[in-house]
Amino acid sequence: MTDSIVPIKEIEENMEKMDTDKMWVIMGPQHPFSHGLWTLKVQLDGEIVTDAEPIVGYLHRGWEKETENREYPKIIPMADRLCYAASMTYTHLYCMTVEKALGIDIPEKAKYIRIVADEVCRIQSHLMWLAAVGTDLGNLTVFLWCMREREYFLDLNVKLCGARMTTNYPRIGGVRNDTTDLFDRDILRTVDRFEKALWDIIYLIDDSSIFVSRMKGISILTREQVANVGLTGPAMRGCGVDFDIRRDDPYDNYDKVDFEVPVLTAGDSYSRYMIRVEEMFQSCDIIRQAVQKVKALGKNAPYRIKTPSKVPAGTTFTRLEDPRGESLMYLVSDGTDRPWRLKVRSPIFVNVSSAKLQSVGTRIADVPAVLAQIDMCLGETDR
Amino acid sequence: MAMKYLDKYPKNLAKSGWVLKPLVTVLRLFAKTATRKPVTVLYPYEKEWIPDNYRGRPGLRFDKCVGCGMCVRMCPTACIKLVEVADDDGKMVMRPQVNLGRCAMCGYCAEYCPVDAMTVTPEYELAEYTRFDLIYGPRRLHYEGTTEGMEVKLEVTLPSDIENGNPERRVSLFDLDRPELIDNKCIGCKKCAKVCPVDAIEMVEKGVNDKGRPILRPIIDNGKCISCKNCVLDCPKDALVIKEVL
Repeated sequence: MTDSIVPIKEIEENMEKMDTDKMWVIMGPQHPFSHGLWTLKVQLDGEIVTDAEPIVGYLHRGWEKETENREYPKIIPMADRLCYAASMTYTHLYCMTVEKALGIDIPEKAKYIRIVADEVCRIQSHLMWLAAVGTDLGNLTVFLWCMREREYFLDLNVKLCGARMTTNYPRIGGVRNDTTDLFDRDILRTVDRFEKALWDIIYLIDDSSIFVSRMKGISILTREQVANVGLTGPAMRGCGVDFDIRRDDPYDNYDKVDFEVPVLTAGDSYSRYMIRVEEMFQSCDIIRQAVQKVKALGKNAPYRIKTPSKVPAGTTFTRLEDPRGESLMYLVSDGTDRPWRLKVRSPIFVNVSSAKLQSVGTRIADVPAVLAQIDMCLGETDR
Repeated sequence: MAMKYLDKYPKNLAKSGWVLKPLVTVLRLFAKTATRKPVTVLYPYEKEWIPDNYRGRPGLRFDKCVGCGMCVRMCPTACIKLVEVADDDGKMVMRPQVNLGRCAMCGYCAEYCPVDAMTVTPEYELAEYTRFDLIYGPRRLHYEGTTEGMEVKLEVTLPSDIENGNPERRVSLFDLDRPELIDNKCIGCKKCAKVCPVDAIEMVEKGVNDKGRPILRPIIDNGKCISCKNCVLDCPKDALVIKEVL
């Protein structure tokens, strides 16, 4: 609480003298602070938040039930639409789950292309989050600059698979198409350019005390609280838990690329912000290595193998490091060409349950700034 | 590997510059952009460049299509339907019709088309005044400038090829699978021969049964077969199965 202008303790002492009722304020579902359709009920004692309750479910579209009536390849375009900002990782996760159920190993080239696509997706998702943080903290310049940088990565998506956001790129047994001509040149140029541009955005935020004082020392979470709630992803690593599925339970070829997992122990809103910014730099490094590996495999290397249409009966579960946390799919197959049950564990659905922990004790004006660190995406939360 | 950002920003540097450093950053960008041309384009008059593999609305090459219905079966949003139209000789044939109001532009129809008749086109300006106008018939689906890259080709490798040490990329996914007959289930109803879009199935007499009627059995011409699965799906006794080559 070093940087807050009025010490919260002082306010609390004064509040005890006054006999006031607590008030529930309902923020959402249509509210400038909520990125998407969700409600946050906050109980206020003056300006201090004493209780909070997130309400989700406005965007429920029966995704899991709908998959039970579809053949396996037809679910891939649907998995794109789980999360608009991180469509590639969900498609990747779904394909990995079915591949694991089939018991097949995909070609090396496909693995590296998936890493490239995933990290491009991670950067663009984090940029969307940074843009949201900018607007939540009252700086529209950050929003505009982040969205400008994000366009370059969306252009890379178009170059790779022909669509900006609903990519429909990974396939069961590989990827849709090989990297197009000059894609490796374009992606290296974009990444080099992006690193310079990201420093500009950092100078806007980190060197401005207006920004930092609204994030530093606010909404501190401990490791125990993180473990109890089930918080995952960058928010967890900002609270001192050193765990990343890419490193600790590597899927595809993440064990063959070299990267660092940033961890900070402060546990406040600012450290969660710092982790995500550092992850963008690490993603750039991963992209550079993976593009080199794709190049080294040659032009005629296979990138997709033929898979049987029927999946043997059994259960499979796979997990993957989404830009927002740990996403998981659990597949129950019954030997036909359709899944019997497909369960999705979305990171935000769990992370949003920490809204109470994060916002209690802060002031109402800080609630948008604090909850921006969850990086809400309602498409995957409600499914 | 080192951390690029966390090594440089271990603690709060806000006190050192207050808001002056952000101001300098913004002014630098201002100076840069003031001397340059604007990057925005006047949209309806000039358009952004789009790459060759851009996935717009689906297109159809009418003369190449055989009406097998593979696109209808693979469409995840069920927006494709087979309708009867007259072809160039006046014969009535079945061809796909796409409801673009439901199309998700996933490109599956082009990807799974066994004869490369369905394509993806770079057309993205699809607004219409009524929903009826969004339904594209087989003739309207035709796209003038179809080039090589728009026929999405699946290049798959067989797992057995990789095991043999010869990972060759094959162009089509379904040309490898062939329908096979389970002889004791077949009743000789000729349904498969009728439904085959490329006339690859011929009914051949194989002796006479105990009532004195001829026994008919389908013979599949593997050179003509496009593995569209129509015969497998229409067989009333499940006598045909498609065998996957892996």
